[in-house]
Amino acid sequence: MKGTAAAALVFCVILSGCGGQQNGSAAPAKPRIALIMKSLANEFFLTMEQGAKNHQAAHSGEYDLICNGIKDELDVNRQIQLVENMVSQGVQAIVIAPADSKALVAACQKAQDAGVVVVNIDNKLDDAVLAERGIKIPFVGPDNRKGAKTVADFLAAKLQPGDPVAIVEGVPTAFNGIQRKLGFEDAMNAAGMKIVTSQSGSWEMAKANQVVAAMITEHPELKAVLCANDSMALGAVAALKSADKVGQVLVIGYDGISAVRERIKDGSILATIEQHADQLAVFGIEYALDMIKTKAAPADRETPVDLITLAEVGG
Amino acid sequence: MNYRRLLTDYVALALVIAGLVLIFGVSTQNFLQFGTFRNIANQIPDAMVVAVGMTFVLIIGGIDLSVGSVLGLGSAVLGVCLVRFELPLPVAIAACLTTGLACGILNGLLVVRWRLPSFIVTLGMLEVASGATYILTQSRTVYVGEPIERVSEVAAFGLSLPFMLAIAVVVAGQVALSGTVFGRHALALGANPESARLSGIRTRALTVSVFALSGLLASLAGMMQCSRLGAADPNAGIGFELQAIAAVVIGGTSLMGGRGSVVNSFFGVIIIAVLAVGLATLGAQESTKRLVTGGVIVAAVILDYYRHRLNKA
Repeated sequence: MKGTAAAALVFCVILSGCGGQQNGSAAPAKPRIALIMKSLANEFFLTMEQGAKNHQAAHSGEYDLICNGIKDELDVNRQIQLVENMVSQGVQAIVIAPADSKALVAACQKAQDAGVVVVNIDNKLDDAVLAERGIKIPFVGPDNRKGAKTVADFLAAKLQPGDPVAIVEGVPTAFNGIQRKLGFEDAMNAAGMKIVTSQSGSWEMAKANQVVAAMITEHPELKAVLCANDSMALGAVAALKSADKVGQVLVIGYDGISAVRERIKDGSILATIEQHADQLAVFGIEYALDMIKTKAAPADRETPVDLITLAEVGG
Repeated sequence: MNYRRLLTDYVALALVIAGLVLIFGVSTQNFLQFGTFRNIANQIPDAMVVAVGMTFVLIIGGIDLSVGSVLGLGSAVLGVCLVRFELPLPVAIAACLTTGLACGILNGLLVVRWRLPSFIVTLGMLEVASGATYILTQSRTVYVGEPIERVSEVAAFGLSLPFMLAIAVVVAGQVALSGTVFGRHALALGANPESARLSGIRTRALTVSVFALSGLLASLAGMMQCSRLGAADPNAGIGFELQAIAAVVIGGTSLMGGRGSVVNSFFGVIIIAVLAVGLATLGAQESTKRLVTGGVIVAAVILDYYRHRLNKA
């Protein structure tokens, strides 16, 4: 498996390298689609990329795929450069998971102006900025707010109205993080829970661990911690362990990574949300292929989010 | 060490810590209680041991930017050895520490062989080690659970084994710095590399061993973090190097080399940890946390400037 990952990496580099050299030659018969991801250091995006590669391998007669990712999720500048590089390489479509919902709009507009089909996946580009620039970029992806509300509703059923709960947010600037926070709040407010504190865990395990440890000292009566991603949920569980509060404080996450499924089995995490990462990029690619063929007007398409609890992981 | 030196050396930072504890104690309900201090003690061992290594690196006039990603790599090696290869814990820990040591030795050798600035060599190692971590873990969080969590659970007086180990590393580090030939040579090398070489100090071997120490301690920190979290996070240690450098510089170690104290670096780590935990207890927003942390780092360094003027007077 280690070899596969290395080979995938090399494959990706070679693909993007060769793409540049082919630029001057005759236009390829089948469309070339560029997949521009966020951090491939994140399991979620790696799964997404792997799903896209598998799909391409099964449909290699229909299109070519060029995959690129950035170093970490905050490396916005690098992602803008990637969009520009892909346009100059003459790809027919770009499927992008933007690292920033506003900063990437201009680059995507330039790509559209150059005649490239742009499809937005994962993290939705900002509606206000899109409207201001008078452009439409179709979004294919999950509704994070709805997903967060689903998992938080499941949690609410296990609590009593008035119970104090805490939220661990993602990076404050990330649109999906903000949506998940809103979804958590929707569910908690509707069920009459008291949100006593809401802080960022920067999407990271160690950071969330520190924040949650402090939360449970300051609010010993806390009944639940709602985490905007699974890494932070794991950090929260570690904090509860060292305070001997596993089971007393319920934890929910978001993303459905494999490590969290283990924790759901042993009961230390209550539930998470599966966004079908392996299918997300594929949905975007299929939509881009459609648009290339039909030249249809862009419209958004929502992808499924599913609740994962003990019943689903088969404890 | 005279009485006045002792006072200015340690009391100033201890006062800063006491001040912070007081502020958070007054402004929150439950900060001033045993749980908070146990939290802090159990969360900082990784930062403590990395700061010890970083203190020595700064003292010889170098810098080690790779500690965060070597921490991540160490934790990944440990997790993968335990979960995928199902090796016994001692073997997995040995593999983790060997990895860190190797990264450190490589840093040191590159620096002395081609007389390269350690800034750029360790920046390279930062990238290489995190790339290796992603390959090793397939960018996936490695869930370890029980076997490694046990390491953190062993406790006496409510303190975890990693914390006691980290205290031992700090004590050993301070003794090595102020009481051994190794420490005196390191200080001499940082103060003036040329005269250190001319006075017969084997500067190349010394440099390699200091970077080796830093790498080894970074992987030890990786082990500590992995055992605390019960999982190896492929993104562990991002930005950790800057936090370690901040702690060491708050403790009065010079970025120019030739001057430093391991115990004061430990105080620096505590200041940053108390701030982080205190602000989280307050429920401060991310923006506030960053503003306050940045302000305190700069203020502590300014305080250090006056402390030194007082020492010289």
